[in-house]
Amino acid sequence: MSILMFSEYALMVALAVFAIATIRITTRKTIAMALVGAGGLSIAVATLLILVNNIYGLSFCRDIATALVLLGPVGTIAFARVLRGD
Amino acid sequence: MDIVMIIKSVLLLISAALVLLAAYGIIRFKDEVPNVLYARIHILGIADMACILALLVLNEPLLAVAYFILAPFASHAIANGHYYGEEEK
Repeated sequence: MSILMFSEYALMVALAVFAIATIRITTRKTIAMALVGAGGLSIAVATLLILVNNIYGLSFCRDIATALVLLGPVGTIAFARVLRGD
Repeated sequence: MDIVMIIKSVLLLISAALVLLAAYGIIRFKDEVPNVLYARIHILGIADMACILALLVLNEPLLAVAYFILAPFASHAIANGHYYGEEEK
């Protein structure tokens, strides 16, 4: 196993732990806390999918990651504007 | 061993360490702490930048730049919505 492969797997484990932490944050009582959790979860899953594309060669993961990276913050901004009361 | 591969590995390990630290930091504080949401948004920024670093190392510069532009807007929108929406009630 090369050192690059080892570091990719280490990042994968770290992102999985971070995803679990953000899911815990998403279940807290305020809506803004849920938005923080959802934002973190979207970028964690997107990076995880790019890693899967790199390691296993599943190219459709890259398309899903692109959609997540572009639409995650847009959805967060839209929900936050509703929360603000505009 | 290729020097580029070593640099890539070190950067990926740094981003993994930052992501793990952010995961610990985001669940560390209790909800009763005042203004804990802003602290969590701040910690989320660290995880965002670590993921951008990882995306750059993994040869995805378009995604990294797109998220680098969009992430501060999302964080600001969450804080703004909480301040004027939930906290005022």
